[in-house]
Amino acid sequence: MKLIFEYNESNSIHISTIRDLDDDATNGYEQLEKYTPIGLPDELLRKELSLPNVSEPTVVRHYTNISQLNYGIDIGFYPLGSCTMKYNPRVNEDIARLDGFQNLHPLSDEECCQGSLKLMWELEQKLKAITGMDAFSLQPAAGAQAELLGVMMTKAYFRQISQTQRTKIIIPDSAHGTNPATASMCRFGTITVPSDSRGNLDIDRFRQTLQNDVALVMLTNPNTLGLFEENISEISDLAHKNGTLMYCDGANMNAMLGIAKPADQGFDLVHLNLHKTFSTPHGGGGPGAGTLGVRAFLADYLPLPRVTKNDDRYVFDYAQRKSIGSVRFCYGNFGTLVRAYSYIKSLGNNIGNVSKNAILNANYLLTLLKDDFEVPFDRSCAHEFVLSSERYGDKSALYISKRLMDYGFHPPTIYFPLTVREALMIEPTETEAKETMVRFASALKDIAQELKEKPDFVKGSPHTRHIGRLDEVAAARKPNLRWTPPIHSD
Amino acid sequence: MDFIPTTDADKQEMLHQIGVKSVDELIQTLKPYLQNKLDLSRPLSELGLVNQLTILSQKNKVLKYFIGAGSYNHYIPAAVAHLILRGEFLTGYTPYQPEMSQGTLQTMYEFQSFICILTGMDVSNGSLYDGSSALAEAALLSSSYKDRKSLFVSKGLNPEYFKVLKTYSEGAGLTISNELNEDTACVIVQNPDFYGNIENLQYLSEQAHNVGALFVVCVIEPTSLAILEPPGNYGADIVVGEGQSFGLPMNFGGPYLGFIAVKNFLLKKIPGRISGMTTDSNGNRGFVLTFQAREQHIRREKAGSNITTNEALMAVASTIYLSLMGKTGLLNVAESSYARAHFLRDKLVSIGLTSLNKNPFYNEFIMQAPFGTSKRILSNLFGNGILGGYDLGDDKILICCTELNRIKDISSFVTIAKETIN
Repeated sequence: MKLIFEYNESNSIHISTIRDLDDDATNGYEQLEKYTPIGLPDELLRKELSLPNVSEPTVVRHYTNISQLNYGIDIGFYPLGSCTMKYNPRVNEDIARLDGFQNLHPLSDEECCQGSLKLMWELEQKLKAITGMDAFSLQPAAGAQAELLGVMMTKAYFRQISQTQRTKIIIPDSAHGTNPATASMCRFGTITVPSDSRGNLDIDRFRQTLQNDVALVMLTNPNTLGLFEENISEISDLAHKNGTLMYCDGANMNAMLGIAKPADQGFDLVHLNLHKTFSTPHGGGGPGAGTLGVRAFLADYLPLPRVTKNDDRYVFDYAQRKSIGSVRFCYGNFGTLVRAYSYIKSLGNNIGNVSKNAILNANYLLTLLKDDFEVPFDRSCAHEFVLSSERYGDKSALYISKRLMDYGFHPPTIYFPLTVREALMIEPTETEAKETMVRFASALKDIAQELKEKPDFVKGSPHTRHIGRLDEVAAARKPNLRWTPPIHSD
Repeated sequence: MDFIPTTDADKQEMLHQIGVKSVDELIQTLKPYLQNKLDLSRPLSELGLVNQLTILSQKNKVLKYFIGAGSYNHYIPAAVAHLILRGEFLTGYTPYQPEMSQGTLQTMYEFQSFICILTGMDVSNGSLYDGSSALAEAALLSSSYKDRKSLFVSKGLNPEYFKVLKTYSEGAGLTISNELNEDTACVIVQNPDFYGNIENLQYLSEQAHNVGALFVVCVIEPTSLAILEPPGNYGADIVVGEGQSFGLPMNFGGPYLGFIAVKNFLLKKIPGRISGMTTDSNGNRGFVLTFQAREQHIRREKAGSNITTNEALMAVASTIYLSLMGKTGLLNVAESSYARAHFLRDKLVSIGLTSLNKNPFYNEFIMQAPFGTSKRILSNLFGNGILGGYDLGDDKILICCTELNRIKDISSFVTIAKETIN
């Protein structure tokens, strides 16, 4: 496929010069013509702008063509574990693009943004109801940023109560990489605790590591093995008795909507990934939104402004309290909040059906596959599960993934969590039909058979994509990370 | 309305095959289990939802904007929204499987190229959350690269950005200082600055390098780069900024598009995803995520940043915007914005306001209104459907124009200001 820079055409003019909007001006635009940046001092001016000129028909065709090299939920099954690739309702795209939402400047007067403030306030109430938390910040742009906010708040809290000796965070060995990376960004040390034989956090090891230097325990529930932490209340009690706070990585909230609340499990902080649980589109890697919920004693540390309600009026509350500051410009990924709010409004009181069906689908698919792959922990799963393809040999998870593409499926998450060899982490979500899971299971079984009968063929897959296996080693050895304009001799 | 295709008959069959009687049996390990249904609200049909949300959106008032301050009202060609709504762009995720995500990976490569060209830098990543957090990431990068803990921040940084920088710094144990010395990790400057001033930063860049610090330039109104010298040409080691002006609606503050671009020597320190060109076994050109060993999913606690989900779709939108605009279109945006801002500035000077920009400016500028009049000017403008600027206090107003400010509205602005002063 050509690069957009490799075209040289007559540009379609989307914005001309100064007259676009001013044909009805009785005077003025002639006066505009005398204002030109050419008058700026030479050392401030750009000498060359090597952007391509391409006609609109070509631009539209170029991006339509390259979009077709992608795979998305709209095309087929996308069981990428831990990412909750559920259907993204199209109506929410239209709603987010309503003039009043999309074209509002963030520094508008309160009087001009009552609709947006009401939406943010109500979304916060709904997230509070879903999680049992007492207050939410809608500011973080993604789960990882919410983690960062949560850990910063934890640090500020312990500074406030003069317990600065708490310099460590306990993280299970199955945790997402963001958890330890976040801890480091805030200069906390990490203590890794292994899982036990049932896939729970090893509670004896946990007890040993829980000293008075531990600020926080970061857990994912259900964990990344797709299993509910059976001892969650005991873990929380132990942590709290030690003066340690409990953080819930809510990436897997799609297993608990309407059927369990992180607050009831003893968590003090929880982040929700709106692009996962609440169906806002993943967009090829973003935008997301990572709201952070906390219990009342931490609410004063949240970023400002908070949105509050006075009678029927919604207002920004900038009262300082102990706020840690801000992690980004203004109030958050508002457009993403609109989509998540719309999703919650659609489901309303029936939101529990989401998680129940997600759990049903995952257990059904697990049942279809459990004789053909190792199941590291013999338990019912939550909304996702982890298999091991170890019996099919070294690198088999990779080969299976690539071959699945030929069957028209997106592969699951592979080699994660790190604690399971040849891991395939599969999350079907509630928006898939039974028939899809039957087809997927049958594809996996066929591939397993193929790996025995014609391993080289499988190792060379995918065979039907427009492109074969790409040379990642060469990409890193001889980095080509941008197009470079040709040097003109004139 | 839900989006669950499973029928009751399917459900019974599935439960039977699993070997349980109900879903409840599957979640016995989930404790504590909620006994009562959540009380959220009545479920809505699509029509019901559209109706409620349309009414809610109409409680907002979109005005004629003469305000920027970090968010800019530019025209967006229609094709941008049409293309990013394609399910292939909209509904995929992080391109970890390159054979199924060449669309995202190639667009990311093109985005990186656009950012490098505009900033004059060598390497760009695929996006960060927004300009302010990108600036904070640049500070963390500098501190880690230089093993120094102090940040020098030039005056004229957007106050929202300063707040974010301060928050990240406190988390990471860095200090913001107004001394330039051997502990300075980087010198940070916004250009054009918050007040619109365009500066020749060659001298500041040399001062930064003289103490061994990195020089970080932050660009929040990137259409300015169509006409201004790229920061890479005056010594920037890192350029960060906000891409919202390139094809993203103001959206009440997000989703926006942070970018970061560096000189080659910082390649292995840059946070977030990078797309690189390579070939497949048949020699066909293709793209992969590269240098992933920098990132959290590999390095965990040793990673320089925890970023994973970024603003990929916003980067796609900006890439399409820049492709549609091309060199001609982007220059037209910059020249039109520049002309309108200067036209309004001169008109306001002619009715008795004072221009406070000592340097040349692009499309934002500060005016000093006569004593005690700025609040009334802004409120009278507001009464006429105009958001007249950002109130800096002390009768100073930060005003912005883009190609979307009509001459008719500029004239009304001036007339209303004049009537208020008199």
